[in-house]
Amino acid sequence: MKEAASLPFDAEALGAGLPPLIISAERLAAAVSMGVHGRRKAGMGESFWQFRRYTPEDAAAAIDWRQSAKSQHLFVREREWEAAQSAWFWCDTSAGMQFASGSVSKADRAKLLGLALASLLIRGGERVALYGEHQPPASSRAALRRIGLTLMGLRQPELTLPPDSIIARNAQFVWFSDFLSPLDKIEETLRRLARSAVTGQIVHIIDPAEEDFPYSGRMRFEDAQGLMHETVGRAETVAEAYRTRFKAHAETVSALARRLGWSYIAHRTDKPPQTALTALYADMSGA
Amino acid sequence: MEFLSGLSFGAPYVLAALVLLPVVFWLLRVTPPMPKRLVFPPLRLLLGLSGKEETPARTPWWLLLLRIVAAALVIAALADPLFGKPPVVAGSGPLVLVIDNGWTAAANWDARQATIADLLRGAKDRAVAVVTTADVPDVSLMDAGQASRIAQALAPEPWLGDRMRAAKAIAKAKFAQTPQIVWLSDGIEDGSGAAMADVLANAGALTIYADAPGRETLALLPPEQRANGFDVSILRATSDGPRGGQVAALGSHGEVLASAPFKFDDGKTRAKAHISLPLEVRNETARIAILNQDSAGTIQLMGGAGARRAVGLVAAQNNEDTQPLLSDTYYLERALAPYAEVRKGNISDLLAHNVSVLILSDIGHIAGFDNRPPGGDYKAVADFIAKGGIVIRFAGPRVAQGTDDLVPVKLRVGGRYLGGALAWAEPQRLAPFADSSPFAGLTIPKDVSVTRQILAEPSVELASRSWARLADGTPLVTGEARGKGWIVLFHITAGPAWSTLPLSGLYVDMMRRLLALSAGSRPAEMRTAVTLPPVSTVDGFGRLRHPPAEVLPIRAADLGRIIVSREHPPGLYGTPGTEDALNAVKANAALVPFGDLGHDVVNYTQSNVLALAPWLLAIAAGLLFLDALLSLWLRGYLTRLRFARGAAVLLVIAVIAHVPDARADDAFDIKAASDTHLAYVITGIPDVDDMSRAGLTGLGNKLRQRTSYEPQDPMGVDIAKDDLSFFPLLYWPMDPREKDLSPEAISKISDYMRNGGTILFDTRDLTLGSVRGANSPGEQTLRRLLAKLDIPPLEPLPADHVLTKAFYLLQTFPGRWDGGKLWVEALPPADPETGPAPARGGDGVSPVIIGGNDWAAAWAVGPNGLPLVDVVPGGERQRELAYRFGINVVMYTFTGNYKADQVHVPALLKRLGKGQ
Repeated sequence: MKEAASLPFDAEALGAGLPPLIISAERLAAAVSMGVHGRRKAGMGESFWQFRRYTPEDAAAAIDWRQSAKSQHLFVREREWEAAQSAWFWCDTSAGMQFASGSVSKADRAKLLGLALASLLIRGGERVALYGEHQPPASSRAALRRIGLTLMGLRQPELTLPPDSIIARNAQFVWFSDFLSPLDKIEETLRRLARSAVTGQIVHIIDPAEEDFPYSGRMRFEDAQGLMHETVGRAETVAEAYRTRFKAHAETVSALARRLGWSYIAHRTDKPPQTALTALYADMSGA
Repeated sequence: MEFLSGLSFGAPYVLAALVLLPVVFWLLRVTPPMPKRLVFPPLRLLLGLSGKEETPARTPWWLLLLRIVAAALVIAALADPLFGKPPVVAGSGPLVLVIDNGWTAAANWDARQATIADLLRGAKDRAVAVVTTADVPDVSLMDAGQASRIAQALAPEPWLGDRMRAAKAIAKAKFAQTPQIVWLSDGIEDGSGAAMADVLANAGALTIYADAPGRETLALLPPEQRANGFDVSILRATSDGPRGGQVAALGSHGEVLASAPFKFDDGKTRAKAHISLPLEVRNETARIAILNQDSAGTIQLMGGAGARRAVGLVAAQNNEDTQPLLSDTYYLERALAPYAEVRKGNISDLLAHNVSVLILSDIGHIAGFDNRPPGGDYKAVADFIAKGGIVIRFAGPRVAQGTDDLVPVKLRVGGRYLGGALAWAEPQRLAPFADSSPFAGLTIPKDVSVTRQILAEPSVELASRSWARLADGTPLVTGEARGKGWIVLFHITAGPAWSTLPLSGLYVDMMRRLLALSAGSRPAEMRTAVTLPPVSTVDGFGRLRHPPAEVLPIRAADLGRIIVSREHPPGLYGTPGTEDALNAVKANAALVPFGDLGHDVVNYTQSNVLALAPWLLAIAAGLLFLDALLSLWLRGYLTRLRFARGAAVLLVIAVIAHVPDARADDAFDIKAASDTHLAYVITGIPDVDDMSRAGLTGLGNKLRQRTSYEPQDPMGVDIAKDDLSFFPLLYWPMDPREKDLSPEAISKISDYMRNGGTILFDTRDLTLGSVRGANSPGEQTLRRLLAKLDIPPLEPLPADHVLTKAFYLLQTFPGRWDGGKLWVEALPPADPETGPAPARGGDGVSPVIIGGNDWAAAWAVGPNGLPLVDVVPGGERQRELAYRFGINVVMYTFTGNYKADQVHVPALLKRLGKGQ
């Protein structure tokens, strides 16, 4: 578990090259708490917005006496209404994610990207939560550490699809998975999330061997649980058909995401994680 | 094709199995190789694709070839291929092998075995008889295979054969056809060679083999003992050409004590050599042997070599029981015990028990000297000396009053004092020993001095009889040969009253030299009537072994005359420790070569037939192993990476094996020495070691926060390799998977504990205590690992032990678990006079602390500084107490009983106040 122990540090190092991430929030919930998204109107917040004349509805404590002393009228200091977006992410924990044809498993890459994203968001003042953790979104470093420990934890249930869990309305959802579940299940889950008025990103983690199928000779393929297997006499003869199928599968997932207004990013584990993180950053910051 | 012409098969019909090879090939070809297994998450996408494919992948052709070659090699090996031509046995009658298998055949036994094997191969399916001359001849015919088994079990016997007996047996036997007789002779004429050849030639067609020149039989004659070693003579049968070798004196464990070269000149059959050995070592010689000649005739056992001489000790006064260190006999006994059997008593008893040396300490007049004529003990002692006994006398107050005449020189009455309060002279040192003295060559320690001695009357003989002198020339030891024996007088006491000589090592050496004087005096006449049972006997190759059942005891009187035979093989006879030797070669032995036998003689040669089967099988096994490796690789069990890693590991192992001390010990030592580290024992079990490390890291953090001790990172210590002396405290968790300790490691741990180190043993399994009883796995491990260790007596930690007060005041010592007892070295009981003290500590630190609370787990922190493991029953209080216990242990090992002394401070202050 050496890799797991250093995961939060790796994630921070990965995000170090990017400025803090502030989600380009198109729809911000009315009920969200204070944050950095200035609403260009008076409201709850830290920054000065404007002085306006006192009206009888205002509380006496709201009167800015220094300003009022300069003239005949009473003035009330108004602050800018600032709100924070909340981002939720979830990593596939199924056994298949442990597959690695090279040195990096899909699960490790998914966790690394997830934490790096969380780190960027927290530096940007956004609030982050790990979906399914039953913790409200938070923007502290402690929350980042807690999420890291949960991801590292050994006793995470093996889940292929995000469970039905609490999520704030109008939140951003980032879903890291290899999306090898049956398509109808994926669609059902996406629709369920979309019903919660959630939009988000799909990050499709792909092992190069899954895409390229570099096998030949007599092979016996088994699934991660060891429940199913398929013996192929000459793997090279099925390679072409498999690649076509895999491509079609990925395209279906991508199309499904776009139809629901989600963005789709495919990431191969043999590529540097920065490429995926940059793409995510661009996507979420609206750049 | 010359190679193929030399090839033949012992069982050629097996080669028919080669026709099966194409079948094997076809079978291997149609069986698809085992599939390579792979976990593949997108399996769902693959399902159903494979139906389109028809022919499965084939086993690669090179693997097929490998397997076929291996199969062919096995078949070829079973056909028993031979390279070279076995000799042709002429005629068609049965083959009779007559083998000389006395000790004379032993040296070249290999050549005989090879010749026999070749002859039997050449005999194929003819009937064979194997007749040996040293055993009872048995002329029964058997097939070649059975004969070959019998021939392989043949060994030379340590006695000489009886050829005529064998020849007669063959002459008497009836054969259907004229037999082919092959006489594998030893080439030695025993007086019946020609007659034997005639008898055999009459019985059938005769071929005679004999040793090639330069490989003829050697014999070692009994050595002659000289003062400075042994003179040995070696015989050989033929006199052609020069020949050399080495002859050596061997100790009782076969170690070479000394060796000497010998050389036969051309035309000579006798060579001489001198093995020079100091006197003491000469007596330790167990046998003399010609090196690289394995035969009963080339060794000479030395009887009685280890015999310890009996020494009788008579003292004028016996105060040994009350004041041993003032008693003369005490020093004598200590000096003699390593080399002799010391008996005490009076003179007549001792002489009746056949002592070889009689020591008289401070006896002036032997009883009976004053009788007219002298009788009693005096007469007995005088006779003893005349027959070869040795009498060693020591001076003393009684001798100073006058002696009888059994002294080497005439003595003055009264002693001489040197260096006393009223004396002018200084205590005298010893002068170097003269070359003629028996003590010549002994080094004299600087601190030996003599304060009192008996002086001799000046006389002509005094100088020649003085074996040791003081620096001023006065005699210290005098000796005289009288009859066959010796009288030796020490002019000082046997104890340290008159000199410091008995306290020095020189005294022991001098006594030993004197004992060697008695080497020749064995009361042999006592033993002629005794029967000597065999102790160990020699086989034909000259190796000692337990006596076989048919060996009979020998009457001592017959020992010199007896001829070695099956009933009386050469060896050692008698009682262990005082054996007599019976050797195969006597002093009058001779080795005579065959004269003209009237037949051609063929020399033995090394076998010219090479059996190929073992080599073929070895190659086939290698190929099959390679096949196994390749198959595993093809199925994906061995990746290229692992091949490389395995090769690297092998390389590293090879390097380590060649350079055993190449480990960077220095780096470890420098790191350990430049700071104080908490240390744990590396058990080799990763989870245990990780926990130890994390635990000591956590404890180190607390120590840094709370005490002035700032430990660096904890270090793992390999008990077997690393130097332990840098660490005051070692934490050692017990796990049933730990390996047993080597003896070196055990002694290292003992040293560590003896020199002040402390080991905290943690059996880590208190929770199991109630379930598993007293034999929890941790405790069993502890017992198994430390059974050989010298652990001091232990007791459960008493409430007033200093460990409970070294830093914190503690009465419980929880770790991950809570409860159980903590064991430490038992303290001396509290002093009843001072009453109960608030804290007690022994003189040092307890070398072991044993408990089972799994402290490392309670202390353990991860990289983030948070605890790793829950404590049971729980609560931060328990973890805090665990830390406190750890701090107390560290403080205890650092400061020892300092805290126990601290409790006396009020009392000390009070006492100081009183003083003022």
